[in-house]
Amino acid sequence: MKAVVLIAVLALAYVGVPLVFGGNAYILGLIVAALTIAGVSVAWALLGNLGGMVSFGHAAFFGVGSYVSAVLAMKLGVPVFAAMVLGGVGAAVASVATMPALRLKGPYFALAMLAYAHIFQILATEMTPVTGGAGGLLSIPRFPTVMGVEFGEKTGGYLIVLTIVVLAALAYDAIRRSAWGLALKAMHDTEQATRVVGVPSTHLKAAMLVLSAFITGVVGAFNAHFISFLQPDYAFASTWTVLPIAAAIFGGYRTVWGPVVGSLAIYLLDQLVFKELMPHGHQLVLGALLCVMILFSPGGLMPLLVRRRRRKKEGVQAHAHA
Amino acid sequence: MKRTLTQLAATVALGVALGASSLAQAKEFLLGSELPLTGNLARVGQGMHEGIAVAIEMANRAYAGKHSFKVSTIDDETNPAKAVAAVERLIGDGAVALTGGYGSNIIGPASEAAQKAGVVYITSGGVTPELTARGYPTFFRINNSEGYAKAMIGLLEDMGVKKVSVVYLNKDATTNLAKQVQSALSAKGVTVGMHEFDAATSDFKPLLNKVKLQDRSEAIAMVGYENDYVGILRAAKVLKPQVKAVVGVWSLATAQMAKEFPDLMENVYGTSMLPYPVEFTQPEALEFAAEYKKLFNKEPDYLGQFGYVQTRLLIDAIVRAEEAGTLAKGGLADELRRTDAQTLIGRVTFDAKGDNTNFSHRMGQHQTGKVVLVWPKDAANGAMRFPGVPW
Repeated sequence: MKAVVLIAVLALAYVGVPLVFGGNAYILGLIVAALTIAGVSVAWALLGNLGGMVSFGHAAFFGVGSYVSAVLAMKLGVPVFAAMVLGGVGAAVASVATMPALRLKGPYFALAMLAYAHIFQILATEMTPVTGGAGGLLSIPRFPTVMGVEFGEKTGGYLIVLTIVVLAALAYDAIRRSAWGLALKAMHDTEQATRVVGVPSTHLKAAMLVLSAFITGVVGAFNAHFISFLQPDYAFASTWTVLPIAAAIFGGYRTVWGPVVGSLAIYLLDQLVFKELMPHGHQLVLGALLCVMILFSPGGLMPLLVRRRRRKKEGVQAHAHA
Repeated sequence: MKRTLTQLAATVALGVALGASSLAQAKEFLLGSELPLTGNLARVGQGMHEGIAVAIEMANRAYAGKHSFKVSTIDDETNPAKAVAAVERLIGDGAVALTGGYGSNIIGPASEAAQKAGVVYITSGGVTPELTARGYPTFFRINNSEGYAKAMIGLLEDMGVKKVSVVYLNKDATTNLAKQVQSALSAKGVTVGMHEFDAATSDFKPLLNKVKLQDRSEAIAMVGYENDYVGILRAAKVLKPQVKAVVGVWSLATAQMAKEFPDLMENVYGTSMLPYPVEFTQPEALEFAAEYKKLFNKEPDYLGQFGYVQTRLLIDAIVRAEEAGTLAKGGLADELRRTDAQTLIGRVTFDAKGDNTNFSHRMGQHQTGKVVLVWPKDAANGAMRFPGVPW
C-alpha cells in the first residue's frame, strides 16, 4: 500500500471512526471484535505466508496470552497494559513448546498445532487455583484511564486494538521487505534449495512462529481485558483459529493488509447485514460468500481490488495515448 | 345561544385536554432480550424466549389501554462477545430493561455491559453465586444455585440413601451446585463420590464403571446439561449400576426430554416447577398455560415459566416506576428491589445483590411419558417411584 494512502486510511481509522461511531457502542463494539479477529488473522497470515506453515492451532496462543495477562493483572496486580504485553510474551514462550511441530510439513503441522491448542485448553482447565478452572475468570481488570483517555471504554478499546493490528501489519510488512523476508519467501517455494545456499530455514521458521504467537497472545490479552471474562472453552475456542483463517483467505493472506480487510469485511457483513436479513443461520450466507470469493479470486479481496485498480489505470492511460 | 356555545367549547377543550393527558400517560415500553437462539444453549434459550413472549402478550392484555410492551430479541449465538454486542445494541435501540440471558459465562459479561449503561438486567439463566457476588445494583435473578441444591438434597434425603455418586460437569455453575450437594449430604452422614467430567466428554462408560464398581452407590446425582444427561443415561443403561435412583437438575424433567428420549427417561428425576401434562389451578397460571398453548401450540415447560416470571416481574416494576415518575431516573432497580410477589415459581423478593433468596425448586420424575412432581410433598401431584431406574 502506498504511504500516502496508508496515512490517509490510518488518519481516518484513528480520527474518523471514533468521531462517527463513538456514540454508537454497538457498532464500535462490532468493529473492535472485527479488529480482534484481524489481529489474529495478520499473525496467522504472517506465519503462513512468510513461514510457509499453515496452522490450525492459533487459538492456543490466543488462549495462553489471554490467561497470562488476566492472571497477572488479577492475582499479581500487574498494570493492565504491561500484563497485555506479557500475555504476548507468555504466548511466545508457549510457542517454544510447539516447536517440535516445525519438523512436520503441510497438514501434519496444521494438525499438530490443533493438538497443541487442545493441550493448552486442558492445562487451563486443570490449573484451577490459577485459572479458575472450567468456570474461568470473571471481572478481569479493564484498561485504565491514561491522561484523560478512558481505555476501558469502547473508543479506548478500539484505539488499543487498532494500534495492535497496525503495528502487527507494519511488522509483517517490514519483515517481508527485509533480507529475512526474501529468504523466507524463497524458502516457501523450495526449502531444500534455500538450505543449500545457507539459509537457516529452521531458525527462520521458529522466529516467525514466535512472532506470530506473540502477536496472537497480545490480541488474546486485549480481548480478555476488553470483554472482562475468560474461560477455557472461550479462550481456546476453534473460532479464534477458523474465523481468522477465513478472514485472511477472504482478504488475501499473501498481502499485508488483506487479513485486516478480510476480517472487517466478513465480520461486519455477517453481523450487520446477514444477521439482520437472517437472524438465524446467517453464517450460511457467509460460508457461501467465502466459497464464491475462493472460486472467483483465490488470492482474496485485496489482489482483486488491486487488479481492478490497475486495469482501470491502464485503461485510462491507453485512452490518453489513443 | 352564546352561553351554550361557550359551554360546548369548554367541554370539548376539557375532553381534548383529558384525552391528551391520557395519551401522554399511555406509553409503549421496549424491552430488550439477549438469548442464545443458536449454538450450544439454543434449546434452553428458545425455552426462555417463549416464556418472555407469553409475558409480553399477557402484560399487554393486563395493561391494555394504559401501557403496551414489546420485546426486541437478539441471538447471542451462545457467545459472550456477541452477547455484549447484543446488550449494547438493545440499549442503543432504547430498551428500558433487559430480560434473558442463558449460561453464567455469557450472562456475566452481558450483565456487566448492562451495568455500565445503568440498565436493569433480569435473568433465570445463570445460577452461579459469582454473578450476584459482584453486587451490581442493576442485576437481578429469580433463581440460584442454592434453590436447585435444596431440591436435589431434599429428594435424596427423603429417599434415605446412604451412598451417592455425584457426576458433574466441570463448569462454574455445575461445579458449585455439585459441591453444595456434596457438602450438605456429607454433613448428614451420606457417603458422596464426586466424579467430574468436561464438556468434551461423550463416552461416560469409564465414569459409570467407577460408580458401579468403586462407589457402589445407591443413587446417581447428575449435574450437567441435556447432552450430558443423555450420555450418562446411555452409559448407565449399558453398565446397569446397582443404584435405586438417578437424579438430575435443570433441563431434564421436561416434556421435550420425555418425548425425545422415552427409553432413557423413565423413572429419572429432575428439577421441574411444573408437572407434565401441566396441571394449573390459579388464574394467572391457567392464563399462562392457555397463552403458551395459543402461541406455541404446546404445553409450557419450566424454562418458559422462568422466562415468563422474570419478564412479568420486570414489566410490573416498570409500570410502578413509571407511575412513580422514577423510570427515567434509574428508579426501576429500586422498584424491583421492592418486589414481593407470589409467582408461578413461588414467592419472589430480591436481596441487596439482586438474588431471590426464597427460591427453592421442585423435583419431578418421568413416569410413563409424564413428569410427576414428587418433591416437596406440598407441591407433589403424585408419588415417587422408588426404587426406580430407566433400565
